[in-house]
Amino acid sequence: MAFTPRGRGGGDRGGFRGGGDRGGFRGGRGGGDRGGRGGGRGGFGDRGGRGGARGGRGAPRGGGRGGARGGRGGAKGGAKTIIEPHRHPGVFVARGKEDMLVTKNLTPGESVYGEKRIAIESSSATLPNGSEFATGANAPPSTKTEYRVWNPFRSKLAAGILGGLDDIFIRPGAKVLYLGAASGTSVSHVADIVGPTGTVYAVEFSHRSGRDLINMATHRTNVIPIIEDARHPLRYRMLVGMVDTVFADVAQPDQARIVGLNCHLYLKVGGGVVVSVKANCIDSTAAPEAVFAREVGKMREERIKPLEQLTLEPFERDHCIVVGRYTRASS
Amino acid sequence: MGLFILQETPVGYALLKAKSSKLLKGNHFKPEDDTAENICSLLKLREFHAFDSAATALEQSAAIVEGKVTPTLAGMLDAIKDEKKASLAVADPKLASAINKLPQLSLSLISDASTADLYRSIRNHLSSLIPALVPEKINTMSLGLSHSLSRHKLKFSPDKVDTMIIQAIALLDDLDKELNIYAMRVKEWYGWHFPEMARIVNDNLAYSKIIISMGMRTNAVNADLAEILPEEIETAVKAAAEVSMGTEITPDDLDNIRGLAEQVVSFTDERAQLSSYLAARMQAVAPNLTALVGELVGARLIAHAGSLMNLAKSPASTIQILGAEKALFRALKTKHDTPKYGLIYHASLIGQATGKNKGKIARVLAAKASLGLRVDALADWSAEGEGKGDAVAEEDRNAHGVESRLKIERRLAALEGKPLRSKGVAIAPNGVSMQPGKWEVKEARKYNPDADGLAGDEPAATAPVLKKPKKEKVAGLTQLIQEVDDNGQSEASASSVTEQAKENDVDMDEAASTPEDVSPLPGSKAAKTAETTIMKQTQPSNGGLSDDEDEFISAVSDDTADSPASPTRPEKNEQSSILGTTKDAKKARKKERHERKAAMAEERSQEKEARKDRIARKPDGKERRQKKGEQKERRQERDDDQDKSLAEQAGLSVSRYKRKLERGEIKFDADGKPSAISKKEMKKAKKAAEEAGTKGRSRGSSGKRG
Repeated sequence: MAFTPRGRGGGDRGGFRGGGDRGGFRGGRGGGDRGGRGGGRGGFGDRGGRGGARGGRGAPRGGGRGGARGGRGGAKGGAKTIIEPHRHPGVFVARGKEDMLVTKNLTPGESVYGEKRIAIESSSATLPNGSEFATGANAPPSTKTEYRVWNPFRSKLAAGILGGLDDIFIRPGAKVLYLGAASGTSVSHVADIVGPTGTVYAVEFSHRSGRDLINMATHRTNVIPIIEDARHPLRYRMLVGMVDTVFADVAQPDQARIVGLNCHLYLKVGGGVVVSVKANCIDSTAAPEAVFAREVGKMREERIKPLEQLTLEPFERDHCIVVGRYTRASS
Repeated sequence: MGLFILQETPVGYALLKAKSSKLLKGNHFKPEDDTAENICSLLKLREFHAFDSAATALEQSAAIVEGKVTPTLAGMLDAIKDEKKASLAVADPKLASAINKLPQLSLSLISDASTADLYRSIRNHLSSLIPALVPEKINTMSLGLSHSLSRHKLKFSPDKVDTMIIQAIALLDDLDKELNIYAMRVKEWYGWHFPEMARIVNDNLAYSKIIISMGMRTNAVNADLAEILPEEIETAVKAAAEVSMGTEITPDDLDNIRGLAEQVVSFTDERAQLSSYLAARMQAVAPNLTALVGELVGARLIAHAGSLMNLAKSPASTIQILGAEKALFRALKTKHDTPKYGLIYHASLIGQATGKNKGKIARVLAAKASLGLRVDALADWSAEGEGKGDAVAEEDRNAHGVESRLKIERRLAALEGKPLRSKGVAIAPNGVSMQPGKWEVKEARKYNPDADGLAGDEPAATAPVLKKPKKEKVAGLTQLIQEVDDNGQSEASASSVTEQAKENDVDMDEAASTPEDVSPLPGSKAAKTAETTIMKQTQPSNGGLSDDEDEFISAVSDDTADSPASPTRPEKNEQSSILGTTKDAKKARKKERHERKAAMAEERSQEKEARKDRIARKPDGKERRQKKGEQKERRQERDDDQDKSLAEQAGLSVSRYKRKLERGEIKFDADGKPSAISKKEMKKAKKAAEEAGTKGRSRGSSGKRG
């Protein structure tokens, strides 16, 4: 496949284009605090109704969790919800009144950052009798499978998946080196995807966010929290083994170099590299497209063969995800 | 002869021996060989030292991360010390150099890119290389180790101290905001009961304290506010309470208002306490930065950068515009000029600079601050460092900052060309010093009549401003003028003369004002015309002049015309001169003019200096009051002087003609400057005259009384 940058709506490679009946996949959690976006929007299937303005990424929810309130958007309580596997293994789609991206909760009964959970009778993930509940306190995890809603406005990986990335290189059993783990919101979903057989090495430099990351990791044994600077990958050489995928969301001017350093040390040959690029963090004066192109060039120099580039347009402004494959042999 | 490879794992240290010592040379190891069998055939486990507990693992890993050789590692490496010409591959160059420094080992360390592929392969097949390591064990150990390492890292975070500063400055800002909201609420709420007080007491804290101690405004009489307010404000409050138009409130209402007021007071106390805490912390953490930019700005800079170390790492140009990122990026995008200053703008040094110099000083200050910051962040004052441990005095710690500040002050003085305010003075960005007075109560804003600008060419502007105490004088004047009219009936119409006389009166008043007043240039067109008209009156009559007038004029001349000519003129002479011809008079006047010119020039320069003094003293409310008292005294003195100087001054006043000349003289002297003839100058003079007139008039009247 030739490498060409693309954005949402560019061609027919959108992730949810497969079935004609797949309209109405909602992006936002659609609570009242979303300021009307999401709720009023059409699904991603019909590309017209999308609002132009983007909401704040990861805007804190107003009060309690939306699930308990009547006014929340998304699938209504008690409504029938069907879980379908997504094209990417380990990722699921919850089809209720509106469609949501979900991952299977590794620690049933717990939310990481106040996200909504959907419990389905365990034996029958495909049966249509799934019911959703907000707190899950009354649901014994043994009989039910729980899924957590993955908000593409808070996670760039989710936005990339919704945008229709061909391959995210994150699948059950994979070992992922996650650079820029922040508070661990996205990491928790990645941990859900890779499952108990996989491992996520979550690297975060900030002590403040690292605190939350460690807290999250205490409940998920497949997450290895590392409070270190990703610029110095040797500092965590004792902890990290060879990995299948490097995911980077570091938003640093020298992020291509950071990714390269980590790949050279820890990424298997042929492993996947998924990098989220924020144009403003690299060069605020240049045009985003030019910045993206430059970053891709730098990644090539680091022996990462770019496979696809996707802008995260409705979810993030001037962001893109670049997916590549690590080819250690010099080209 | 042999190649060893050190591999750190979460379970323990492993020392591998390459079967061929040339493994790393050339292309002996290729990435394609990365299979378990291949690597096992190339390498052999020589030593494995497992950590005996999780605590040991943590301790060892923490040291390795920092590139330190632990005794355990050194002990393990002892196993190969007998090897000859052995080389050891280590992943981390820092650790390699540390191992190299071990005295008992004579290894050649390899830690470069050549080992990269080998290490990748080892990491990939760790469990096959080291039989003791099953993958599950590695996983559990690395999970446990990662958690304990991370916790350890958070626990012994080096930027703990600046976190305190960052939180304190954030809280300070929050408190200010909150305090303002609460104080506004107090004023709004209590304002229903006693609306007048908000206008009298502007200060939030004082306002709240009054509510607490006074309660209902009916208690105002009994309340003791001496602790809270200066006396005059206290009396004003009490007077206003008597006649307040506020609504009545119940004690219940008052209790709630009082509760809020107590909150304001306690918040204010807390804020003061917090700010002193912040100052102490800043002095301890970043003494040089504090010396240069002050605690608040320094703390904001640190908070903005995230930590002292981060700030110390940033270049001066970054420090200069820290806090103005939005403007910076906008400027970069639109290719405009980038901002000159960010948070640093609030430093007092920049507050002292004006105009373009602000940018210059911001640049210099940022440069010095970045140097000072590096001293703060990186200087080692401990006993092992250059210092003497805790014995290092404050002065030594902030020597750089203080010295730099002095340099910048000197630079600023050179740029501005004026002396600077003394060192300790806090100066706001607008250049106003923020020194606390004795009373920390802000006075309520009052109407400022000085701000009422006058166009400058209304001649009779004095008339409406005349007030009751001056009525007497006005009456006297009109009388005088009437007499003049009676006696010297001439072309000049009565009205015009009246006007001119008034005008002259103004001028004289102003002239009569003490040298510290503003008036060396009482030249106005009207006055000049008056002179000319009077000169036309060839027959001056003096007989009709009242005593009043005499005195009045003498009073005038007393201060204005301290000429050398006047003392030489005895009273009798005056009489004769009046009787004399106009030619004579003219001649005399000419001569006098010259002399007086010189005298006036001197006087003027003195006045100028006095005025400078006065401006430097900057009279505020309190001083003005004081000055009023002084003026009263001075007036008294002058009255005394008048009697003494009456004789010499009288010569000028006996004859109306002479007197008019005299007045003209004064005008002329003031106008005597070559530039004075210009219209602009005239206007200026008139304006000055009017301004001075408001002050000087009262003096004129007092002179008449005496």
